[in-house]
Amino acid sequence: MRRADGEVLLLWTLPGVAAIWLSGFLLFPGFVPPMSPTMSAEEVAAFYRDPENLPRIRYGMIVFNWFAVGLIPVLALIALQIRRMAHRTPIFSYAILACAAGGPTIFLLADLFWLLAAFRPERDPQLTLLFNDLAWVTFSSQVGFLIAQSVILALAIYLDRQERPVFRPWVAHFNLVVAVLLMPAAFAGAALTGPFAWDGLLTFWVRNGAVALWIVVMAVVLGGAIRRQRAEDEAVAA
Amino acid sequence: MSAPSTGAMPERPSGSLVRKVAWHWRHDEKRELWIGWWTLVVFYNLYGLLFFVVTRTQPPPQPSLDPAGIVRWFDDRHHGLIYGYAIVFIVGGATAIMNATLAYSMRRMSVSRAFAYAYLVIYALATLPGMLLMGIACTVGAMRPDRDPELLSWLYDFAFLSFEGTMGVFLVGSLVWMAAVLLDRNRVFPKWFGYLNLCNALTEVVVAPAWIFKSGAFAWDGTIAWWTNMGVFVTYTAVFLTLLRRMILREDFGTGPLPDLPREGAPQASGSMEATR
Repeated sequence: MRRADGEVLLLWTLPGVAAIWLSGFLLFPGFVPPMSPTMSAEEVAAFYRDPENLPRIRYGMIVFNWFAVGLIPVLALIALQIRRMAHRTPIFSYAILACAAGGPTIFLLADLFWLLAAFRPERDPQLTLLFNDLAWVTFSSQVGFLIAQSVILALAIYLDRQERPVFRPWVAHFNLVVAVLLMPAAFAGAALTGPFAWDGLLTFWVRNGAVALWIVVMAVVLGGAIRRQRAEDEAVAA
Repeated sequence: MSAPSTGAMPERPSGSLVRKVAWHWRHDEKRELWIGWWTLVVFYNLYGLLFFVVTRTQPPPQPSLDPAGIVRWFDDRHHGLIYGYAIVFIVGGATAIMNATLAYSMRRMSVSRAFAYAYLVIYALATLPGMLLMGIACTVGAMRPDRDPELLSWLYDFAFLSFEGTMGVFLVGSLVWMAAVLLDRNRVFPKWFGYLNLCNALTEVVVAPAWIFKSGAFAWDGTIAWWTNMGVFVTYTAVFLTLLRRMILREDFGTGPLPDLPREGAPQASGSMEATR
């Protein structure tokens, strides 16, 4: 029998990770409201040089860095639930693990560019603008692994053909909707204003809202699945 | 309604593509493998289209372009870079299911699971130098055409050197697959494919001088660094897609040697209705 010790502990790291995400989001002065891509190099440099902003940029991005990696244990739990599904191959759980390795790496890269811009704010404003652009474009447009994660999970759920499937079909539908909501953000480089710009309705608010909603919903259904699994394991052991 | 796990499957429908796909979705025991295989086929075709036609970043331009030339290069393909890479960013995660399918080929071999796991992790990270870093650099370059030309040329170098010059992932990944194929006793792939992996691995060594030369055969657009590499890569990809398809057709979900493909016209071992008709 597979050992499930410690899975509940890993699951309960999620509220901590969510708190880190929220504090990073509120600390970084460039998120609420999001910085505009139309800011000139001088305005961007002034943003990083502002003594009010600088510590908040650094602390915000330092904790944001922890958040991305903090999600990996939860993705590992999802991979284990996929393992319990009625599939013929481990392809879907492998694919979720591949997403877990790729996605946070890109997120770290965005974080690195922001911190580099803040490390020497006295640099030539053109260089600060470059780092700021790299950070925002990486953060906004890199939705590929998140989309793949949702689509793969949905496929895995649809093909989990057993009497009591691990996740109900609505979880699959939900994941497909999230995948669609994430797609417009890939076009973050296409416009400096409007809904597709990195501070726009679709790219910033809808996408980040979808990610937050995904974390909350998946935490609840994952908790339910782990609870059922433990009850079944105990019934077998008794 | 699910098909019984053994015995006869409902007859395959003839007719529209949608009905055929629906049949496989419902009844084909190998549907997970076929999802992976078709993702590979569609993705590689799309990858070629996006890199060669839409973004026109392949074949690569000269590393020796001056900053004014680089500004013109970005101007010439502004929309292609922005929209082409946006599509790359949307579909880029599909590599996860593709690499999972390739890792499965190693899991089906008689070798340790370590080979499949190593391959999976290496190629999960390979997506960054394989396309995403280049896409980020090109998008940032294209979004502000008025950027200082010196900085634009740094983005240009970042794009092409991250794409061409960071081949460690593909080098080690190919060697892992090679070792697995050569050690395997389950006949998943023919042994010569192991040596083709070595060819692919060696081309990844040959691109390393792209970090040193700005013109000539070893530069990032050179006959050796780019053309040889791309030639071998395209051949290698076409070969492994064909072999992978044969592997899926031969798959019996056992742990021993994979059976041979049934001969043309011979009854299928999976017990389809055609065999009893």
